[in-house]
Amino acid sequence: MTKPKVVFSPVSQEFFENPYEIYARMRDDAPLYYDEQEDFYALTRHEDVAAAFKDHDAFSSARGCDLSMVRSGEVPQKSIIFMDPPDHRHMRSLLNKAFTPRAVQSQKETVAELIEHYLGMVDPDNFDVVQDFSGPFPVEVITRMAGVPEEFRQQVRHWIDRSLHRKPGQIDLDDDNMQANIDSGMYYYGLVVERRENPQDDMISRLIAAEIPDDHGNMRQLDDIEITGFTTLLGGAGAETVTKLVGSAVVEFARHPDQWQKLLDDRSKIPAAVEELLRYVGPVQYNVRYSVKDVEVPSGTVPAHKPVFLMGASANRDPRAFTDGETFDIDRDRTQAQNLGLGYGIHSCLGAALARMESAIALDRLLDFMPRYEVDFDGLRRVNMQNVAGYQNVPVRVLR
Amino acid sequence: MSKVEVDFGLCESNGVCMGIIPEVFDLDDEDYLHVLQDEVTPDNEHQIREAVRQCPRQAIAIRDE
Repeated sequence: MTKPKVVFSPVSQEFFENPYEIYARMRDDAPLYYDEQEDFYALTRHEDVAAAFKDHDAFSSARGCDLSMVRSGEVPQKSIIFMDPPDHRHMRSLLNKAFTPRAVQSQKETVAELIEHYLGMVDPDNFDVVQDFSGPFPVEVITRMAGVPEEFRQQVRHWIDRSLHRKPGQIDLDDDNMQANIDSGMYYYGLVVERRENPQDDMISRLIAAEIPDDHGNMRQLDDIEITGFTTLLGGAGAETVTKLVGSAVVEFARHPDQWQKLLDDRSKIPAAVEELLRYVGPVQYNVRYSVKDVEVPSGTVPAHKPVFLMGASANRDPRAFTDGETFDIDRDRTQAQNLGLGYGIHSCLGAALARMESAIALDRLLDFMPRYEVDFDGLRRVNMQNVAGYQNVPVRVLR
Repeated sequence: MSKVEVDFGLCESNGVCMGIIPEVFDLDDEDYLHVLQDEVTPDNEHQIREAVRQCPRQAIAIRDE
């Protein structure tokens, strides 16, 4: 009897519910997965995904980084995640100094205050970790850094949620996704125009003042559309991800109470726990690239001119790279392989240090707030989204 | 002789390398990375290779001369 051929659809209900079983089958049976129906490739083993992330010349981002964009063949709007060098390097260097581990220390008090604020408002007998806590706080941090006034900060995450939502079977953007993009774009554009008139101590104002080299080596300023795009991206990347990581953390620690106990006994293990969460339930599932030529990866040849899924979330559980890769263990040997939870290479997460800090402080306060807790597993609801996974509802009761 | 080479255009001061081998990599107070000793020796080679691999930016290389 032959095994049924593994099928991976990034927008199937089966994938939204549990991507990890599909990943395991892809790694074992089809490491160089080709989807005939949608005409794309997918890499799932650690050695392949890591190699592809490093090889940004062959695996281009310039056509976009989701399937819909890459296969449309249209030139995407100017955004740092849709750029190859040298443009990418110019844009990235405008903001990267604001996100180094040392630089984000200046956000530490704000992060702690926001975390304590939202945790202070929940009902310990019945609250939703995502809706009441891990959704609201990260978006406040990043939009505050960007320069969004307080009254609009929560709106940003609702736009992101609507923009990334996918119905089962839906690859391309629908009207609702588009409308959310238009609404948030209009809002940010207005804010950029306002900041040109009236600069503040925020990222939008710094981008307005910044200069980058153009194609002829002359210095130029960014236009309003470019700044709008960058600010939109910051809001999405800086909010959605930590929201999901912290929501998944509460679920995984409920499934593995021995691991929660380790943290209760020894808070110095929190950074290691954050790394393990990024590996085991990191929110970003994949990034799509475009093969500009035939490319050799360890599992074979990816042909030219195809969308290629680099499945970091699968690579992170690859038992060929990590001993007992499917086991959640905050004490594991982290030097075995590169953790791809925040990407790798030139497009690796700009906000990595901020994400780590927010997650670590959130875990620390959750350990205080709910040393013992139970999750209502029947009430868990996962999100259906383009390239990020996690929960939209995690109902919790603190035990006393 | 092999030497450590850092692409400072890529480096974003994540400090992973310093965590692995502070005798070779050091971040100053301004967040700039300094290579304290650029020669790859049998004593430090293993850790330097680990830093090369773990650098999230892929900014470190070993150049053979």
